[in-house]
Parts: sequence; structure tokens; C-alpha cells
Amino acid sequence: MKPDISDEAVELWFGPQHVAAHGWATKLTLVGDYIVECDPNAGYFHRSAEKCLEFRNFRQGALIMERLCMPEAFLAEYPYVQAVEKIAEIEVPEKAKFMRTIMMEVSRIHSIQFWWGQLAGELGLFTMVLWPWIDREYTLDAFEELTGSRHAVTYSTPGGVKYDFTDEFLRRLDLAIYHLENHLGKFKDMILKSPTFKARAQNVGLFSTKEALKLGLSGPNIRACDYPMDLRKDAHDPNLKYDQVDWEVPVLVSEEHGSGMCDAYDRMIQRFNEVDVALQIIRGLLPQVPEGPIIDPKVRAKTNRLPAGEAYGRVEGARGISTLWLKTTDKAQTPYRAKIRGPCFNSYYALKHLMPGLRFADFVLVFGSLDPYVGWWDR
Amino acid sequence: MSIWERWLFWRMSILTEVLHVAAATFAREVINKFPDVESKPLNDNGVELITPRTHIRDIVNMIDERFDDAFPELVFGVDLEEGNFEVIYIFWMRSSSLLLQIRIPLQENDLWVDTVSDIFPGFEWHERETHEMFGIDFKGHQDLRLLLLPDELEGQYPLRKSFKTDRSRLEESGLTVPKPKPSPSARPDDKPAKEADSE
Repeated sequence: MKPDISDEAVELWFGPQHVAAHGWATKLTLVGDYIVECDPNAGYFHRSAEKCLEFRNFRQGALIMERLCMPEAFLAEYPYVQAVEKIAEIEVPEKAKFMRTIMMEVSRIHSIQFWWGQLAGELGLFTMVLWPWIDREYTLDAFEELTGSRHAVTYSTPGGVKYDFTDEFLRRLDLAIYHLENHLGKFKDMILKSPTFKARAQNVGLFSTKEALKLGLSGPNIRACDYPMDLRKDAHDPNLKYDQVDWEVPVLVSEEHGSGMCDAYDRMIQRFNEVDVALQIIRGLLPQVPEGPIIDPKVRAKTNRLPAGEAYGRVEGARGISTLWLKTTDKAQTPYRAKIRGPCFNSYYALKHLMPGLRFADFVLVFGSLDPYVGWWDR
Repeated sequence: MSIWERWLFWRMSILTEVLHVAAATFAREVINKFPDVESKPLNDNGVELITPRTHIRDIVNMIDERFDDAFPELVFGVDLEEGNFEVIYIFWMRSSSLLLQIRIPLQENDLWVDTVSDIFPGFEWHERETHEMFGIDFKGHQDLRLLLLPDELEGQYPLRKSFKTDRSRLEESGLTVPKPKPSPSARPDDKPAKEADSE
């Protein structure tokens, strides 16, 4: 706190007991209603996943990875799987590549369904929590049919995927997409056309493309600035099938600020655009799934002991770029060092730069518009 | 392979070469300026620079000036045991599709690097985490408080290999110490005992 404002300034802890603060706390310095300083605090949810990974073998590691971010579990486990496949030089069957890509996009949709209910709940719009989460149940039902679990899915594994698509799963996936599409327009109108909501969300939490790059913000947060940074297109991954479908990277030109800037409202519209593109990819890939094996039959022997090496796995998650850097020593059964990059590590940090100057009531809104998830920064 | 596929393959190989040139050009530029920097190609159009710590601020400044889309991805430490450490920086440049990894070898008792968090604020917390987990000091960093760890673990550096997580630290955790296992001969369901019963 600076000395000249200390007389009238109030220090306020937002969290960790607040309902909207699920596992984090931020120290705000307020003068009247205005935030002058924001000090995000992390560590309430820290489980040291990086140290844990050093004691798990190469098939168990993906389980820890998906627990970092349950809403996007299919995406969260992938960087680890990719890094192990690179070091062990495992060939993934063609069918598994399609199935991975499809499930990663379903996971992206699920994560966004989860996000908009959560955001509405934090803002006090309780109807908007329940309605999207009714549709989310259908998505979870599909996950349950496929993997036997609604959240801890453990789907991708080095060498392929664990479970094959069944007819019942495809029926449930159709049902989930049917409900989502039927209601998407309604939800968009409810959030985005509401004049109260627009008045609250526009012109708060502004940043430009350059600022976002410097702060390390990625994913929908930077694409809302009309900047098409997307690893699905930019980094060619031979084990995913994004190149088999026609799709464009979803970007947004802000109606208030034009290209190159975005506010909290734009980031929310952008997340709805992401759903549209994910649906397009799923619809393009589903008919193309070939017949064949879903996993390399010798994967157990190939991943028992890995050669010495370093690999870097990266994926465009629902919240941004999530990566894993892996180092192994020769004939080791466990990783020597695994470093995880959670996309929300940087978006939570960015609050320090975005918050000063805003009003206290905008805090939850700007925070929610960045789509934070505590597991990604505490790990 | 059809003619069309061959043509596509040929085009792709040219494209990959062009991209590799971009990576190699930047590496050469750095080496021309600092002859003691080594470069090594990585997979997927990546390049690695191995540099002494004195050049890190100059190299990161070069990245900032040369690429206007440099994206700060990671800073982290690696404990190589026997007193050897490494700090690794990873940048991603989208337009030239270049993945840049900078590696700085460090020795124990002399663990410090200059901070780059004023050039790329996105690295501020990554450096703070590396400091608390490995004890690597980032000189000039404005805020090196603990980020993820509880206060009791200050100065313990949990991600170093010397930090054990086995039974040897059980008392510290406050959990009850498990009862010692009975010796094999004292077990009632031991094999020799069963044989004796059947007889």
C-alpha cells in the first residue's frame, strides 16, 4: 500500500471463505468503492502435482494431470500423454487419433457449459446456473457411458485411448448436442442481450493483444482480441486430426473497441463462439472415424521403461495453452522432472494488472470472464 | 502414393525447411552477438540456446525487439543432482511458428539469475515459483514471497531431489507413526505354521 492513500484505504480479503472464491484468496486495497491494488494469492489448493508425477509410472501420470482441471479432463491429460509418446516413439492407431480429437472437443464444450453456469452463479443469476447445467448433465451422461465415470475420465493413455465408442455412447452424444444446440441461442440471449448484463460487463477488464501476449494470456482470452492464436491450427500435432475438417479459428472483433482490444463482455461472446466451432469439428470428424484398433497392443512393454530424453507436450485447452515439459533418465520407470503449465496460472496473475481502477463489484465479473480454474494455478 | 500426395509432401517439406531457417537465423544472430552461446535444434521447428546466465537479459530483450508476438510460456528449474541445476525459459512465436528454449546451467551455492519479469510480466509468477521450489534467486525481481507453499516450508525447496517424501519426514507431518510390522516368524498365518497345523 502506498503511503499517500493509506489513510482512507481499506484492505479486504476476497476469499478463501467467499462463495465465489472456491480455493483462492485475493487481497484488495480499496479506496471507497474503487480497487487501487490487487494482490492475488495462490496456494490454498496446492497438492504438488509435479512432485507426485515423479513417483508415478508413465501410464499413471495422466490420472494426476486430469485432476488438475476436471471440467476439461480430456484436454488436461493430453500434454502428458503427448510428451510420453514423443520420448517412447509410440505410434498411435488412426482410430484413436480421431477419437481423441472428438472427445477433446466434447470436453471443451463441457468446460464452457460449466463456466457459464459458474459465472452466472457468481454474479447472482441463479436461473442461469441451473439451465445450462441441465444440458451439461447430458454431456456427463455421455462421458459416463464412454468411460464409466462422469468427471475422472482417464481416456487418453500413451499409445491410444482406453475405451471404444459404443452405440449407446453415440446416442447419448447426439442427445447432448441436440439439447445444447436447441438451447444455445436462448442462453446467448439471456446473457448477452440482457441490458443490465451488458451495462455491467462492457468496458471493464480491458486489455490489448500486446498486453495479453506480455501477460501470457492465451486461448479464448486472446482470441477475443481478434488474434487467431490457436495451437489446434498453429502447432501441427500428427496424433490429432484437426486437419481433417474445415474450420476457422474463432476470433472476435469487439463491437465497442474494434479489433485488437477486448473487455469482459467480448470474452464471454468469444466463449460462445468457441462452442460453435467445437460443434463444427465434432460433426466433421464423427462420420470419418475409421475401423481398427484403438490402442497400440505393445504399449505396456513400451512404456515400462523409457529412454533418456526430453519432450514438450502442448495442447490448446478450453482455457488456453496448457503444456507439460518432461525429462526422463535412461531406463527410468518414472519421470525425472515434469513441469506443468496451466493456462490459468497466467490469467490469475493478470488480475494484478487488470484490477486497479475498477470498482469492487466488477471484480467477480472480470475474474469470471477470464475463465479461471484453481487447479491450474495451484497444481 | 498418388501424384497429388507426392506434391503435397514436397510442398510441406519446403515449408518446413523455410520455418527451420527462421529458427536457425535467430539462433545465428544470437551466437554472432554472444559467441559463448551454443545452439541445438529441437523437434517441431524448435531451437535451444544454452547460455551462461550473464546473457539472459540481453537475449530476452532481443526476443522482445525481434518478435512482436513472443509469447512467454514457461520458466522452471531442474535439479540435476550433485549440485547442478538448470533454469529453462520457453517462448513461442506464432507467426514464425518458432519454439525457443533457453537453458542456463547453474551450480549450487551460486544459484542466481537476473530476472526477466520486467520485460515479460507473464514470467513474474513463474520465477517466483521457481524461487520457492528450488531456491534459485532471481535478482531484481520485485516480489519473491512464497507463492504456493505454506510458511513452514520456506527454505526447504520441495522440488529438489534432496527433499524426501518418504517415511523419513513422517514426524514433521504430524501424522501418527505406524506400528512396526511383526517379524515374519511371529506371524500366525505363516506358511511353516500352516504346514505344522495340517500335520
